[in-house]
Amino acid sequence: MTLFAALFSHYRRHPLQLVALALMILVATTLWSGVRQLTEQARTSLTQSEQVIAGRQQVVREDGVAVTVGDFATLRRAGLCVMPWLEVPRDGDVGLVIGVDPLSAACFGDEGNVFGDAGYRIEGEPFVDISEAARLAREFPGTERAPTLVLIAAGAVKAETLPAGYRLSAFSKGPDTGELGESFLLNLDALGVLVLLITALLLRSVYRLGIVQRRDSFALLHRFGVPPAQIDRWLVLELLVLAVLCVVPGLWLGSWLAGLLGQGFGRSLQGLFDAPLYATSGQWLAPALTMMAVVLAACLADFLVPRTRLVVARRGQGKLAGGLLLAGLALALLGPSLIWVFAAVAIVFAGAGLLTPALISRVADRAGVASPDPLRRWRYRELAVMARQLALPVVALQFTLAMVLAIQALVTTFEDTFDRWLGQRLEAELYVPVPEGRSADAAARWLTSQPELQTGGAWHRVVRGRGSVSMSGTAPAPVDLFALSPVSSLVDGWDLLASADDPWGILAREEGVLVNEQLARRLGVGVGDRLELDVAGAWLDLPIAGVYADYGRPAGEVLISAGLLPAHFQAAFESFSITPGALSRAELISGLEAVWQVSELAVRDNEEIRSLATGVFDQTFLLTRAITVLTLALAALALLIMGWVFFTGRAWYFRLLAAWGLSRREVAAQLTRLSVGLTASVALLALPLGIWLTWVLVHRINPLAFGWSLPMAVYPGFWVELIGLSLLIGLGIALLMGRQLRAATVLPVSANSLAGGER
Amino acid sequence: MRAIALVPFLVLVLAGCSREPEQAGFAGLAEGVSDSGQLSYLQPGPETGLVFPADLGPHPRHRIEWWYLTANLKTEAGEPLGLQWTQFRQALKPREPDSIPEPEAWPLEAAWMAHAAVSWRGEHVFAERLARGDVGNAGARAQPFGVWLDHWRLDAVAEDQWRLNVQAGNFGYDLTLTLNDQPVAHGINGFSAKSDSGQGSMYFSYVHIEIRGTVMIHGQALEVQGRGWFDREWSSQFLKTGQQGWDWFALHLNSGDKLMAFRLREDGNLYVSGTWIPASGQPQPLDSGQLAMSVIEQRDGVPVRWRIEVPEQGVSLTLSAPPGDYMNKGLYPYWESPVEVSGSHTGQGYMELTGYR
Repeated sequence: MTLFAALFSHYRRHPLQLVALALMILVATTLWSGVRQLTEQARTSLTQSEQVIAGRQQVVREDGVAVTVGDFATLRRAGLCVMPWLEVPRDGDVGLVIGVDPLSAACFGDEGNVFGDAGYRIEGEPFVDISEAARLAREFPGTERAPTLVLIAAGAVKAETLPAGYRLSAFSKGPDTGELGESFLLNLDALGVLVLLITALLLRSVYRLGIVQRRDSFALLHRFGVPPAQIDRWLVLELLVLAVLCVVPGLWLGSWLAGLLGQGFGRSLQGLFDAPLYATSGQWLAPALTMMAVVLAACLADFLVPRTRLVVARRGQGKLAGGLLLAGLALALLGPSLIWVFAAVAIVFAGAGLLTPALISRVADRAGVASPDPLRRWRYRELAVMARQLALPVVALQFTLAMVLAIQALVTTFEDTFDRWLGQRLEAELYVPVPEGRSADAAARWLTSQPELQTGGAWHRVVRGRGSVSMSGTAPAPVDLFALSPVSSLVDGWDLLASADDPWGILAREEGVLVNEQLARRLGVGVGDRLELDVAGAWLDLPIAGVYADYGRPAGEVLISAGLLPAHFQAAFESFSITPGALSRAELISGLEAVWQVSELAVRDNEEIRSLATGVFDQTFLLTRAITVLTLALAALALLIMGWVFFTGRAWYFRLLAAWGLSRREVAAQLTRLSVGLTASVALLALPLGIWLTWVLVHRINPLAFGWSLPMAVYPGFWVELIGLSLLIGLGIALLMGRQLRAATVLPVSANSLAGGER
Repeated sequence: MRAIALVPFLVLVLAGCSREPEQAGFAGLAEGVSDSGQLSYLQPGPETGLVFPADLGPHPRHRIEWWYLTANLKTEAGEPLGLQWTQFRQALKPREPDSIPEPEAWPLEAAWMAHAAVSWRGEHVFAERLARGDVGNAGARAQPFGVWLDHWRLDAVAEDQWRLNVQAGNFGYDLTLTLNDQPVAHGINGFSAKSDSGQGSMYFSYVHIEIRGTVMIHGQALEVQGRGWFDREWSSQFLKTGQQGWDWFALHLNSGDKLMAFRLREDGNLYVSGTWIPASGQPQPLDSGQLAMSVIEQRDGVPVRWRIEVPEQGVSLTLSAPPGDYMNKGLYPYWESPVEVSGSHTGQGYMELTGYR
């Protein structure tokens, strides 16, 4: 038998350990690399869309019809420097490819060197030649989003040089969202790091247990003349092989996972930040090396850190944990940016991770000493040993439970708040967009003249467009404009985050504006502050009469009375929100059709819009939920395996309980109480951490990442569910252990194990 | 004989590669005709012959072609002014003339490039435009004759009358061209050989063109008039492998005679050819036994004074480019300058030199 075969024989005896190690590396690599690929893709998309289109303008048709290749030729033949930009959803609707024409980009040459610099920035993914993009559009016509053609104009193109029927418009992939997109990705990064951390803890615990069990074989080998250094080398090699064998398929699965989640993720990114997800190819080497490094570092930390230092460290553990917790809590409260808040979370977690096993162990020891019942004393002492021995998986489970709890609270709060908010926003029964080229004024006149509508009905006209806003002395920043007229009872029910007296009256009298929470936060303004607003060249200087919640998007928005809009204001979208009251729906629609002289109106009702909006929001949290659930599964599985391995190692010791006179059923009951006691303690200790994390997510991370905050809420029902799950894990360990004991395998016994030597 | 091809340019732009095929000659003009696709490029030969007016339009089964105008003009003040307009078509894949792809597909079967230049008072201004074919903003048509790339356009406005309009950044021109004679076919039936082994192109010229119009330069409008020379040329394999550049001349002699002459340079070897176009009578192709070309003087590595002799016709000319730098600094830099003719005859003309510096 070779040395390697001798060493590896451990896993022949404990195949489950090997499977556990392999599965953990595989699942963790899948999760982490999947998330990483998505965030990298999104980050590239954000950067590219910012870089390439920054400050660009496009030429659009005045009649609102989408531009075609024919318009491109017309404009070029008129001597205008425009280039086509064809966005095509990729096969499977994951990411966008962008077709560009380097030949027409050549005339952009001298300006801004974005397109002209030998196509430097429009080379490589997601950019392809426009003929290729057009081919993709033809070959995959069934995708949800239609390909869109944009004609980007060079800076030298001025409005007065355009042929009749065309106008210039800003080419922007969305509103000015500041750092929000990046913050959103940072959130996902943090989640990925957490997954990595938990994996490392779990791996380390499983591997360490294996090493403890293998000490006897190492000693035997040493006695046969194998130097310890050589054994260590073989162990490193063994781990390296295992890591390679699991990381590579893990990366492949990660890429598959990214593809699976990419569609929803792309929609989230589009919905939240108006930033498209561009198609990019995944990386292999960097994630592979990172994962290998994590596996090796987690498992081989003992080779790297001298033992004495660990012992010294353990003595000051309590103080260190306390210090970390205090520092982390303070930092979370005061951290000025998202990265600081994440650092705070990491520090608090590190403190909690150090504290938890020590706390369980100490409390159990104390309880054991205080207990008069010898069995209970035995159980408490045994629990203390378990808490120390299973410190790492215990901490990993605690972290995961806390994370799941916090994210569930966030998502549920969000759903509730959003639902309420949507209810207020969707007060009207019907929503009728103004058809292209038709007059909203005519429809408004018609609606005013309907007496039935005044009986129990209400309506207002909604105009959406862009403007720019500045505080006194600051540079103007683009904002979304949301204009209403008349200010009807449909908006009365809005919960305002802050408001002056009679804000809707002020708005209706055109004496003030309302702003959304995002804008208020970004500009640092509140009720009473004055805003300078540029609406299509007309300057308004009005006080803020209220701040309203505006969930689900990062753009700043100003709500004004539509009466303030100048006549030449170009609306991006116009619609009517109508509750017909005594007027029948059919009459209303046919009346509007007659006014607009159209045969069919695209009327949407309340329910339809509500389900659309909810759909977008579900997509937003799909990824977060998927990761937390998978991590929880990983942690639970690991603790189950670990607990089982731990109990197996102490099986002889537990059998002594029978020798002391306990029946088999009584022994099983003791084991159940022991394992359930451990998992229940973990769950209980996860609660405060989870609640604190909820607070951080709601009050610190969410405003920084999304621009709006939520009310903090806790959901004890879900705590009960989590505790129940922990108890199930405990029961599972006990069940496995009971089977092990019943198997009654005769194993060689050492004095050490009889005396419960691990204590 | 004049050309700047787009093949390596497209490779450069679309694939980010700057390597010029070593054996492909200047601007890729020595690339072979065989094509891996189903439809191959057609290579013209002495038997091809010219067809009018069809040959004024594009030849989509040929790899490369151009429409090329040079003009020796005078301002109202009598100052000489040189002018060039050229449009090139480079096929990326050959196709039948009637199988036109849908513009919506943004096809990439041909690329177009247009050059415009004005030389005046020792200054040379140049502009370049690029476009893909079959989309609508660049193309050519035999009848009614028109060649356009964006807003630069050459159009037939009457029988034997064309209008050329170019607006570049700091210069532009709007000219009326009157064609006073039938086109002249070069070489054998219009096939102009470029080597002894079959490479060559279809090539004909309008050499009696009267030009009037306005040239804008630096915001100044100049009324101009003078004479022009218009070339039409197409091929699929223009140069022989190893040929690195050429020197080309189109001369209006005050005697009423015209002379086209070129030489192709390869290692230690020159391929010389030309056409003598007498004021009356048939044009006469010239080969290396009948035509001699030599450099008299260089300026910064570019031969700017030349001696050209056609002994049979008693022609011994000295050609001189005016002072200045006449490099067209586009994707493929080349020299394009007016020349003054002295010696046995006087006159003016244009000189194109590629593959220098």
